[in-house]
Amino acid sequence: MKILCVCGLGQGTSLILRMNVDNVLRQLGIQADVDNTDVSSASSERPDLIITSNELAESLSGHPSKIVIVNNYFDLNEIKEALESHFN
Amino acid sequence: MQVLTWIANNIFGVPAFLIGIIVLVGLLLQKKTTSQTITGTFKAMIGFLIINAGAGIITGALNIFQPMWAEVFGLKAGSLGQFMGQTAFNLKFGSAVTLAMFLGFLINVLLARFTKFKYIYLTGHMMFWTTTIFAGIIVETVGASHVSLVKLVIFLSIFMGLYWTFQPALVQPFMRKVTGGNAIALGHTSAIVAILSALLGKVLGNKQNDSEKIKLPKGLEFLRDSNVITALTMGVLFLVGAIIITLKGTPGSHALIKQAAGQNFPMYSIIQSFTFAGGIAVVLLGVKMFIGEIVPAFNGIATKLVPGAVPALDCPVVFTFAPNAVILGFLGAFFGALIWLVVIGNTVSYVFVPTMIVLFFHGATAGVFGNSTGGVRGALIGGFVTSTVVAWGQYIMVHYLVSSTIPDTAMWAADCDMFILGPIVKALAHLLF
Repeated sequence: MKILCVCGLGQGTSLILRMNVDNVLRQLGIQADVDNTDVSSASSERPDLIITSNELAESLSGHPSKIVIVNNYFDLNEIKEALESHFN
Repeated sequence: MQVLTWIANNIFGVPAFLIGIIVLVGLLLQKKTTSQTITGTFKAMIGFLIINAGAGIITGALNIFQPMWAEVFGLKAGSLGQFMGQTAFNLKFGSAVTLAMFLGFLINVLLARFTKFKYIYLTGHMMFWTTTIFAGIIVETVGASHVSLVKLVIFLSIFMGLYWTFQPALVQPFMRKVTGGNAIALGHTSAIVAILSALLGKVLGNKQNDSEKIKLPKGLEFLRDSNVITALTMGVLFLVGAIIITLKGTPGSHALIKQAAGQNFPMYSIIQSFTFAGGIAVVLLGVKMFIGEIVPAFNGIATKLVPGAVPALDCPVVFTFAPNAVILGFLGAFFGALIWLVVIGNTVSYVFVPTMIVLFFHGATAGVFGNSTGGVRGALIGGFVTSTVVAWGQYIMVHYLVSSTIPDTAMWAADCDMFILGPIVKALAHLLF
């Protein structure tokens, strides 16, 4: 499974989100290939799952991949809840 | 001895190899699988080499933009003059920059471990740019053929280690107001404008009129897409410049129009603006690829060694606390930049490059901090203050601090804290080298 973490520039914030998502997936025992990128590039990629904020999700509306919204990229609990509700 | 010299020159002296080795060690220490280790090492090395390719594209477009607007303003010195450029600079000093980043981070970790400042700087791409620009200042001051690489690495490691520890610490009192807690810190070069905006917002703003109470028009989401906003703004500026040049008919403008090789000059200029945006996208892809492998390793080191560490993170961390202030701050910075473009062109004869990535991220951060003390007015003032620091800072940086080394990078990637600390780095380089 391929997961893409997205922020505006695809540099710092989405990388931190990627590290936190990796962390949560390990806790949940889920194997996935997690990468990070900017919102421009994300629109032309087809991962199984996109994780991003509410504002950027609006720029990606109509994207064929499933989008999971996480507003606080540093809140491991929020990430965990968002992913759990997606996988269940 | 010969073997050691060979290794020093051909392996550690080649930045791509050095980065590969650092990442390789980092991945091995994290006990990654063999395939993850190989992929990560290769990606970091390829990423670093991609930066060089993108830097060349940006310089190509800037070499049209600068003379064109110089001609519009009727300035004499249109071209950028002789300089090393990012690609040649990376080749010669990239290893020193990489080593200084790594050692500077270790100093940051040690300071966090043994002092009460528990901040760990995790914004890898800004670590790279800040170290690069400061290296550019030192090399310019001391001279490319005279500078001692050992001294360069030692000075930069200490300076960066101190900066990465104390910059988050200085912002934290204001950061608490924004985030309402102490869990995260700001690790970004917009620190100076964040602090200025919070202070000015307090004096000049009106906290009652919070930015999040107002309704902003829909459809401003595209402002968050840096590729689009860069191409759009530079496109308009290239086009306006090209039309003025076409109408002017001076010998200088004829020489410029010739560069288009028969193509319609305004159309040619539009393509140049998109090429500029493309060059930045290429550089950012490269930075992402090598930073994406380094930061998780840094994070692993820090969490093992520093109990109670507070991560100092990239500026968009504050964006979710006040999304409207993000837009207001950027608008303040954007209009401020256009005003300064004209003022600076007409007074000190410099063509300011209104670098959208810097104006957006710094303006937006200043907006959020300005709003936290001064509401809507605070956010707008914060944005304007940002444009002022960026415009005048870029002029001073490009003209006086890095003119023979990396002015090409300073024009779009140098930003607020670098502008404020730049003269200090130059003074220290005079004293210590």
